[in-house]
Amino acid sequence: MKKYLSTILLSIVFVSITCAQFKLPGYEVVTLDNGLTIYLLEKNDVPIISFSAVFDAGAIRDGAQNGMASFTAEALKFGTKNYTKNQIDSIFNFYGSSLNTYARLDYSGLYTQFMKDDLEKLLPVIKDVITNPTFPEDELIKRKQRWIAELDQAKESPRQVIGAYYNKFLFAESPYGNPVDGIKKTIEQIDRVQISNFYLKNIRSESCAIAVVGDFDSDKMKSELKNLFSDWRVTVPRLIDDSRFKKQDLKESGVYLINKDNATETTFMIGGFGVPMSNKDQIQIDVINTILGGRFTSWLNDELRVNAGYTYGARSRFASYKTAGTFYISTYTQTKNTEPAIDLAIKTYNRLFEKGIDEATLKSAKNYVKGQFPPGYETAGSLAGFLTQKYIYGLEDSYINDFEKTVDGMTVDGANEIIKKYFPKDNLQFVLIGKAEDIREIAKKYGKVIEKNISEDGF
Amino acid sequence: MKYILIFFISVVSLFGQVKADDVKSFTLKNGMKIFVLEDSSIPNANMYFFYNVGSRNEYIGITGISHFFEHMMFNGAKKYGPKEFDRVMEANGGSNNAYTSENITAYTDWFPASSIEVMFDLEADRIEHLNFDPKMIESERGVILSERNTGLENNPLEQLWQETQATAFVAHSYMWPVIGWESDIKNWKKEDLENYFRTYYAPNNCVVVISGDVKFNEVKKLAEKYFEPIPSGPKPRSLHTIEPEQTGEKKLFVKREVPSPYLMITYHVPQSGSEDYYALDLLNSILSEGESSRLYNSIVDNQQLALEVGSMYPEAFDPTLFYFYGIANDGVTAAQLEKAVLEEVDKIIKDGINDSELQKVKNQKLMGFYRTTETINGMSNTLGTYELFFGDYKKMFSAPDDYKKVTADDIKNVAAKYFTKQNRTVGILNTEEAQ
Repeated sequence: MKKYLSTILLSIVFVSITCAQFKLPGYEVVTLDNGLTIYLLEKNDVPIISFSAVFDAGAIRDGAQNGMASFTAEALKFGTKNYTKNQIDSIFNFYGSSLNTYARLDYSGLYTQFMKDDLEKLLPVIKDVITNPTFPEDELIKRKQRWIAELDQAKESPRQVIGAYYNKFLFAESPYGNPVDGIKKTIEQIDRVQISNFYLKNIRSESCAIAVVGDFDSDKMKSELKNLFSDWRVTVPRLIDDSRFKKQDLKESGVYLINKDNATETTFMIGGFGVPMSNKDQIQIDVINTILGGRFTSWLNDELRVNAGYTYGARSRFASYKTAGTFYISTYTQTKNTEPAIDLAIKTYNRLFEKGIDEATLKSAKNYVKGQFPPGYETAGSLAGFLTQKYIYGLEDSYINDFEKTVDGMTVDGANEIIKKYFPKDNLQFVLIGKAEDIREIAKKYGKVIEKNISEDGF
Repeated sequence: MKYILIFFISVVSLFGQVKADDVKSFTLKNGMKIFVLEDSSIPNANMYFFYNVGSRNEYIGITGISHFFEHMMFNGAKKYGPKEFDRVMEANGGSNNAYTSENITAYTDWFPASSIEVMFDLEADRIEHLNFDPKMIESERGVILSERNTGLENNPLEQLWQETQATAFVAHSYMWPVIGWESDIKNWKKEDLENYFRTYYAPNNCVVVISGDVKFNEVKKLAEKYFEPIPSGPKPRSLHTIEPEQTGEKKLFVKREVPSPYLMITYHVPQSGSEDYYALDLLNSILSEGESSRLYNSIVDNQQLALEVGSMYPEAFDPTLFYFYGIANDGVTAAQLEKAVLEEVDKIIKDGINDSELQKVKNQKLMGFYRTTETINGMSNTLGTYELFFGDYKKMFSAPDDYKKVTADDIKNVAAKYFTKQNRTVGILNTEEAQ
């Protein structure tokens, strides 16, 4: 007890830290006639350039064809009007680089980083990948086969797939329930015509942003990009699909029990709905979550790891999307500790509502998030990431520029209001991946159980 | 971390981004060596502590204790009791982590530069006065067992790796996993930890690197105040075990239910900094860096035999292993995948590599170096790793010449020299053993 008290005193005694206010470096934004948005930010400390493009072509656009956005993003690299897949891979690798494409729920994108001297060689290839993909049949067939095998392989790792089960359980058939990498059945059905259609409908200049950050001259870069991308026009009419997720109240607690016969531990998530990216209280919510499960001394990690030794790590997080969001606590423990670990996680979570946050804890969390903030925007790649996120989610520069001010402005009363407003208290939802035979009875304690085998296709 | 050093080596003198003069150093009276790199691009800094101790310093009965010890370094000292190290650090805007390998144990603090003195105070306390609270030892045992279990549960390759190492080595302590064997984790005693602390955690067995928005003179003053009073210890006994030459191919099988087989192939190779190091390291990149690499292009992309394939040449103080690994595609047997990997190896032994491949690898190293220098974290980790594995951080400035000297023939020759059947161990993990 004495040690505990002295710690609190220590953390009060330390003054509120003041870093030199961290600001977003100046950048330029241009919109071409075809609607393409371009962000340019010069950063000359290292002779490299980061190139990031985002498309309004995320997995929420998949419809019934789960995995379409993700597969299409990768298929951009399978060949273009002027380059084969092997040529694309070889050119990027030769210059010490690689070209990455990916999909998330809200958007898909392309990312690469290269030495400034190689700009002229690589930009035309990037342009072709974005605007002239040909989706050659032989490459699609090869990748489809491996993709399906990878979906089986992924389920060897409960930690890798639990998020897809969680979103499916919470969002059900609404777009945010779509598993980004699809399921075996839908990937099997994907063909060249569908991919081309998805591409033409969703990857287009008027809903694309490119962010270039690094060692270059903005005027020169601007004219190069204009030359390359001005002729990118898609004649297929654009469908404005503004389907928004309509949050429904969860009426009761539910448990999604995923049986993995050979599991020796239970991997679990507990939570409910969170907040969309547009929420103005994001930063404050993050500060509170830091206390609950966002750092080593967070309540969850302290109780489940440090005190009880149940797990290597326990955390909590708000995952925010364009029009929806989730909140979850996540950890894993040996099968025999499943019940005490879940009980302890819930008990610890409830401290938020029962005791709330005190001054010393809030001050520590504020210092922590402020201290850890600048390294998140240290590289050209992370700045390019921010600029493209800004485009997708409509973030303001003030997110970075006023971060410290916003954090400093938080009060204990305000913090406890944030808890009441945003942290789901009742009707919590649970996903448990483990050996069902050993934990089936335990699962019933937490809500209505729906059981599924991990080997079953999908989530 | 294993790739970072090389990036440093291959470019520093060529491109003048970071010069030897930019890194300043001093040695305290107790033997602790400290490197400082001033960089004010963000208002933050970091501190790395590299201790010359890892699982290679263990013996049967205490396997995994280096890693366990790493965890105990966060569990209380004299001024800052259990939990206080993390609480005080986080309340001052800092965060930390640590890692243990076969060779070294490294601790890192990341913090706003204005909090630097608190970091010195926290570190000095635990380096000099670490305390072993029996309650903390027991809860930490549970944490480690969970860490071990979750690694094996989520990654069949980790299980195969452990078994392959244990088969490839017969004498050297590289034979056991860094995390240790379960029965040892459950049974080591407080005395074992105290003994380990006394033997290896003296300031003269530690290299410190500090990068970020700091001033050399200020760092030196703080180091003299907080670290210099810590008494030095006797030099730990050096390891004398030499792995005997492997006298024939070894094969092993691990039974585990998986959708498709896992493969691992190893060859004994020399340690970091040895004569053949640079050629072997370039060979590693040729084999597995990027989609155009030999293994990926042929086995995953063209032949569709694997979902994943790779190679690895880890940094090591002593002769180590060169690893090949892969996960078979659906319907592909372990034997087919093994044959495909060995064919790629044979191609290099027989036909060598072309000039464009050699140039590609050098470009990849250069790009990797730039990525490293983008962050103060990359800089600190690289500097320290270099100092430990190559003996002197300054050697990195002469290393570009060593890389330049590597020819396509050298790469062909090291492949022929080390990738022999006699020197090989082949591990397969699968649901059922092939008939």
